[in-house]
Amino acid sequence: MSAGIDPGQPGVAGSAGAVPVLAGRRISVNFGGIKALADVNIEVPERSIVGLIGPNGAGKTTLLSVLSGLLRPRHGQVLIDGVDVTGLPAHRRARRGLARTYQLPELYAGLTVREHLQISYRLRHEHSRMWRDLLDAGGWRRPSAGEKERVDNLLEWLELTDLQSSSVTALPLGNSRLVEIGRALASSPRVVLLDEPLSGLDARESEALAGTLHGLVDRENVAFLLIDHDVDTVLSRSSDVVVLEFGVVIARGTPDQIRSNELVRTAYLGDSVDAPLEISQ
Amino acid sequence: MLEAIIAGCALGAVYALASGGLLMTYVSSGILNFAYAAIAFFVARFYYFLHSQHHWSTAPAALLSIFGAGPALGILLYVALFRFVRLSSPLIRIVVTIGLAVSIEPITLMLFGNLNIANPPGLASQPVKVYHLAGAPISLDQILVYACVVLVLGGVAAMLRWTDAGLLVRSVVDSTALASLSGIRPTGVAAGVWAVSTFSAGLTGVLAAPIIGLTIGPFTGLMAAAFAAVVAARLRSVGIAVSVGLLMGVVTGVVERYLPSTSQFTAAVIPSIPFALLALFLLYWAFRGENLQQTQTVGGPLDRAISPHGGSELALARAASISGPSASGAPRWVFPVGLIVIAAILPMVLSGVWIGAYALGVAYGVVMLSYTVGAGEGGMIWLCQISFAGLGAFTTAVLSTNVGWPLVPAMIVGGLVCGVVGALVGLLTIRLGNVYVALATLTFGLLVENLVFNLNYLNNFGAGVDITRSGMTGTDKDFAWFALIVFVILALLFQNVRHSTFGMAISAVRWSDPAARTVGLSVLMNKVALATFAAFIAGIGGGLLATYAQAAIPDSYATFSGLLWLAVLVAVGVRSTSAALIAGVLFSLLPEVFLTYVPTSWGQVPAALFGLGAVLIARNPEGTLAMHARQLEGLLSWRRRPAVASGNPDGLALAQVGGAGSSQTRAERESVVR
Repeated sequence: MSAGIDPGQPGVAGSAGAVPVLAGRRISVNFGGIKALADVNIEVPERSIVGLIGPNGAGKTTLLSVLSGLLRPRHGQVLIDGVDVTGLPAHRRARRGLARTYQLPELYAGLTVREHLQISYRLRHEHSRMWRDLLDAGGWRRPSAGEKERVDNLLEWLELTDLQSSSVTALPLGNSRLVEIGRALASSPRVVLLDEPLSGLDARESEALAGTLHGLVDRENVAFLLIDHDVDTVLSRSSDVVVLEFGVVIARGTPDQIRSNELVRTAYLGDSVDAPLEISQ
Repeated sequence: MLEAIIAGCALGAVYALASGGLLMTYVSSGILNFAYAAIAFFVARFYYFLHSQHHWSTAPAALLSIFGAGPALGILLYVALFRFVRLSSPLIRIVVTIGLAVSIEPITLMLFGNLNIANPPGLASQPVKVYHLAGAPISLDQILVYACVVLVLGGVAAMLRWTDAGLLVRSVVDSTALASLSGIRPTGVAAGVWAVSTFSAGLTGVLAAPIIGLTIGPFTGLMAAAFAAVVAARLRSVGIAVSVGLLMGVVTGVVERYLPSTSQFTAAVIPSIPFALLALFLLYWAFRGENLQQTQTVGGPLDRAISPHGGSELALARAASISGPSASGAPRWVFPVGLIVIAAILPMVLSGVWIGAYALGVAYGVVMLSYTVGAGEGGMIWLCQISFAGLGAFTTAVLSTNVGWPLVPAMIVGGLVCGVVGALVGLLTIRLGNVYVALATLTFGLLVENLVFNLNYLNNFGAGVDITRSGMTGTDKDFAWFALIVFVILALLFQNVRHSTFGMAISAVRWSDPAARTVGLSVLMNKVALATFAAFIAGIGGGLLATYAQAAIPDSYATFSGLLWLAVLVAVGVRSTSAALIAGVLFSLLPEVFLTYVPTSWGQVPAALFGLGAVLIARNPEGTLAMHARQLEGLLSWRRRPAVASGNPDGLALAQVGGAGSSQTRAERESVVR
């Protein structure tokens, strides 16, 4: 292991002193007799991009499911803004500002592109409309100025304006991922968990999407926890990186520290640690 | 006691055979076959047709019916139907078998005659020999049932586990595509599975007939009881299902012995035992908070990637587009408004028997609307809407006749009572998952039918509770308009729900549970709210039906009749409000047309047509109305051109129509993962 990297410590570089927007403490998950996660610590500081990498089956998506509330851990805590939300279901965590996307886009086949963003916006900013619409027929009226502006801006920025009335069933993968990101951002989240947002995209699409993440951090005042198999992209876009292997954190630190970490090289290249690591410096 | 146990064992063995057959079919095909009882009835009736009506001896009659007709029917159903729904959603798979169940019975009666059969023979030669075990009588028919449980279920289980044929079946279950690439002919294997399944159903039918009688009622009751054992086995273990089936029979035998045989209480309790057990199992899991959501039992990712039917429920989503003009450019309100105008004019045109049938049809339309809300909008398979209609009917009747309330408040309270009960049922069952919800609501319906509708206060020796029609419901013409106004009000309420934030939430919950949860939606509470609304509508509809009939009669709300109602709606269109009205009117008018213009022997045709119409959901999930509307729109929309997407120079530089790496559509991707 390289000096200065301690996989056991929950913090990541640059987060000392500040309350992270999202934290997982000593998270363990078992599937039958298999340990999917063992004592995993992770923190996502405010307005940051934290990368989460690891080989297939390392437990990355399982960790995202625990953090988002879709999976209950055997042990451990999840905190949003320092508040323990381990016992809260996924929808209550979402209302505290946690959003996520999925490895295979999870879209609502019965809704249009625009409605994906609308429902997300309303649940966070106009939650009372869930039931009020039924009484005052609010669903038939024009959306609020705030909703219209937010949704229009996001659609325009994502280049989905022309597709806003389309059903999502016929969207290609690239646009499906954009709809997921738009849906996540429409709720003005504090932190977004991105599960392989670049997979399936071609090089140009991938570069365009990854390139916008930094801009979003400032523009939306949001933090990202980014999983992707494109290690180069994750290392180049993240301020801190956590590496999982077989459910255990084997390294954490800055991208440069991760690049030079022997355990990471071994995890990706097996025993051939002498081989050149195909992570660009 | 021993006598009671042995008597119970005979019934238990039949339960075991049925539950084992149902579960093996589910495990090896992914389909919980609601048509199991109908298939068993078909084969048993065919056996009777050969053996008793045409005096064939036992062996050839059994060979031709059980070993010939049964497997042949299975292969036919697989080739014509089940192969198309193998990877479909639970909703479609269940509705297809319900449609099949609804259509097989009338077809059977048309083929073999609608006879009143008192003592159907089994496989034992007549007169049936009776032996004694520890003083308790045991007939040769009963011994044959035990033998078949051991031989058939044990044999099939052993075959699946230890033989090459079993290996073939298991490989096809896991992935048809991979099995095919390994040189296996999956169509043959899957057809074989269905042949064995229908053989087992037929054998169960022939063996059960001497014990439970040869009419469809006890057969469907037998299947419902077998469902209890299947649920106890959590849709996994054939051994547990068979054991629970046997246990249910023994418990029934013992309870029957110690309750007074002539009591009405006994008559209500005995058939309820399996359903009470099923309810206990479900409540136990619900209170333990166990998640019984079923993972796909058949097919792998490759199967779904290459199957055009893998995501066939997505076609339902196409009908979900509720805003904006249709493809033809006409506003979407034109058709429903036109339909309502025609519906309002019809009472002025119709007379005699037709105005009565039409008025009743509009009332049915209201009940059908409850299925549109629950199944069409929410994707929930609730099989007890007819029980809510019954509860609404009895509440309306009791309040208006016994308490003296005016009709409208009585109906509204009837709807509210159903809404509350629906919310409770939903809270207890929804988190268990789709297939369990179907079974739990079926069980709830059967319990209500046996234990509530049979109360002396309500049943009144089969006459039910009277309702007086007067004023705005006095004549059939007035009633038709009254029912139409109720339908329009409820349809507008439903449209308000659809257009609301709650409506969007329901759509989100329906199409992606995890994504809905991670945007802040409570899946349980949203589904419960929708189920409450659906139950409310069913209760109002029940009140209307009872008002039309001038009495709330228990037999009108038999749980299995509700499957026919669902089949009718699905055949016309499960998502459309207009389809609900059309389905209700068709359901009432079509039998009247056959009764008036066609020979009596064709009387079963409407039910068969409704069932076959529901079966078509396998190929056309939208229903016939939506399909034809779409075809018409397609013809009218030839002028329109697709809009050309324009890029935003300040936005993300992603391709609007996807590059080579991202051209896969959601329908294709969904078929990979579901």
